[in-house]
Amino acid sequence: MRYLVLLMDDGAEKVWTEQTPEEQAATMAKFGEFDAACAARDGVEILAGEALAGPEAATTVRTRDGRVQVTDGPYAEAVEGMGGFYLVQAPDLDGLLELLRVLPAYDIQVSPAVDMG
Amino acid sequence: MTDAEDALTDVVRAEWGRLVALLLKQFRRLDLVEDALGDAVEAASRTWPTDGVPTNPAAWLMTAARRRVLDRLRTEDVARRKQPLLLVDAEHHQEGARTMADAGHLVEDDVLRLVLMCAHPALAPEAASALSLRLVLGVPTADIARLFLVPEPTMAARITRAKKRIVGAGIPFAVPDAGALPDRLETVAQTAYLTFTAGYSPGTGPDLLRADQSGEAIRLVRVVLGLCPDEPALVALLALMLLQHSRRDARICDGRLVLLADQDRTRWHHDEVAEATRLLARPRLAGPLTPLAASYVLQARIAAEHATAPSAEETRWDRVVGLYDVLLQVAPTPSARLARAVAVAEQHGPAAGLDALEGLEVPESHRPAAVRAELLSRAGDVDAARAAYDQAIAACRNEVETAFLLAQRDALPSA
Repeated sequence: MRYLVLLMDDGAEKVWTEQTPEEQAATMAKFGEFDAACAARDGVEILAGEALAGPEAATTVRTRDGRVQVTDGPYAEAVEGMGGFYLVQAPDLDGLLELLRVLPAYDIQVSPAVDMG
Repeated sequence: MTDAEDALTDVVRAEWGRLVALLLKQFRRLDLVEDALGDAVEAASRTWPTDGVPTNPAAWLMTAARRRVLDRLRTEDVARRKQPLLLVDAEHHQEGARTMADAGHLVEDDVLRLVLMCAHPALAPEAASALSLRLVLGVPTADIARLFLVPEPTMAARITRAKKRIVGAGIPFAVPDAGALPDRLETVAQTAYLTFTAGYSPGTGPDLLRADQSGEAIRLVRVVLGLCPDEPALVALLALMLLQHSRRDARICDGRLVLLADQDRTRWHHDEVAEATRLLARPRLAGPLTPLAASYVLQARIAAEHATAPSAEETRWDRVVGLYDVLLQVAPTPSARLARAVAVAEQHGPAAGLDALEGLEVPESHRPAAVRAELLSRAGDVDAARAAYDQAIAACRNEVETAFLLAQRDALPSA
C-alpha cells in the first residue's frame, strides 16, 4: 500500500527554531535513520518526501458557489504546524508504524492512498 | 436440545475463531467471511438433525462456508472485485514470528493473527471489543449490542465500519515481530477488560450486570492465553476477572444490589477463586512488569484479599490499603483513589476515609458521592449524608443501583 505520512505537529519535539544546533543535528540525523530503515526493509520505499515551509507561506483555495476563493494561511489552525510529508510504499500499517518510530516524536497522520488502478 | 443441536453449539463455540481465521487467510475478504460462516451454521441447523452429525463437524462447516464465499465471489460485479483485500501474511513478519517459537509451541497461529487484528491499537476500543467478540468467539451481533447497550442495527453498523477500516487502513492479518508482540498483547488485554467491565458494571439500564457477557470476556482471554501462555498482562487479567466474576451470584438478591460485606460467601464460585490464586502465584508475575501488567496484578491481589477472607470482618484491610498505595503509584486513577478511601475507612474509621476522599471527583460518576454518603452516615452526620445521597441519586443512571441508594437514604434516621 502507499501511505501519505503527514508530519502534523512538533508533538513531543521542541520547536525547530528553539532547538540548539546540537539538537537540530540530532533531529536531522533521525530523518537519515528513517531513510536508512526504510531502505533496509523489504517492500518499503519512500516514493516522495519534503519538508514544508511554515503556515505564513501557505495558501488555501476553496471553491464556493462556483467561485474560487484564495486565502492567506493554512486550511485549519490544526495543521499550522505541518512540517513535512512522506509518500511511502509499505506492505501494511504495522510495518509502517514500526518504521515511523525512528522519526522525531512528531504528531503524525497516516492516510492510505486509494489505488485507482 | 437434540444431540445435533448440542453438537452444533459446541463446534461453533470451540471452532468459530479458527474457522474465521482460515477463511480470512484463504479469501482475504473480511466482508464475506462472517456471513458465509453464519449461513453454514444455519444450513447445519437444518440438515444435521435429519442427516446426522458429520464425523468432523468443523470440517463440514468449513466446506459449507467456503462454498458460500465462492458463490458470492462468482456473482459479484467488477467494481466490488476491485475492492482492496485484507493484507495477509506479509513476508517480513514471518521471520520474527518464527523466533517466538518456544519449546515445541509455535506461537505463530492463525487464531492469534485474528485476535491481534481485531484488537489493533488503530481501532477504537469499543470497535475492537465488538469485533473480537464477533469474529474470535462468534458471539451473535444482537448479544454484543445488548452488552454495549446499543440497538442491534447500530452495533451491526459499528462492526461493518470496523471491518472496512481494517482493510482500508491496511491493518494486517499477521503476527508482528517478537519485539512488538508484547505491546500488542497488552492492547488485547485492554480490549478484553473493556468487554468484561461493560458486562460487569453497566452504567445505565435495568440490569446491574450481565454475567454471561463477562464470561465471554474471560473466554477471550483464555483463547489468547492458550496461544501465549506466559504473557504477564493476560495471566494477571485472567486472575482479576475470575475473582470479580466469582462473586456474580452473590451480588444480586431479588433484583437488589448486595454489597461485598453483606454477600453470602458460600455463593461465591470458590473454584474460580482457587484458579485465580494459582495464576497469581506464577513466578513471572513476581518479576519486572509493565505498568499495565502491574496494575492488573495489584487489582487482582486486592480482589484476592476479599475473596479469601473468611468473613467481611476478617478482611485484612491493612494489606488492602497497602496494595492500593502501590497501585496508586503505578496507576493513579480516580477509581483506585476512591476504592482506597473505602479501605482506609474500614481500617481507620469513617473520618479517615472522608479525609482520603477529599478533593476526589470522577466525571459522570455517582460513586464518590455514594461513598461519601455512606461514610458521613457512619460518622453520624445525617444531614450531610442525606445531601450526598441526593447528589449520588441524581448522578446514578443504573436502575438497580439507584434503588439501592434510595433505600440507603430513606433508612437514615430523621433529623
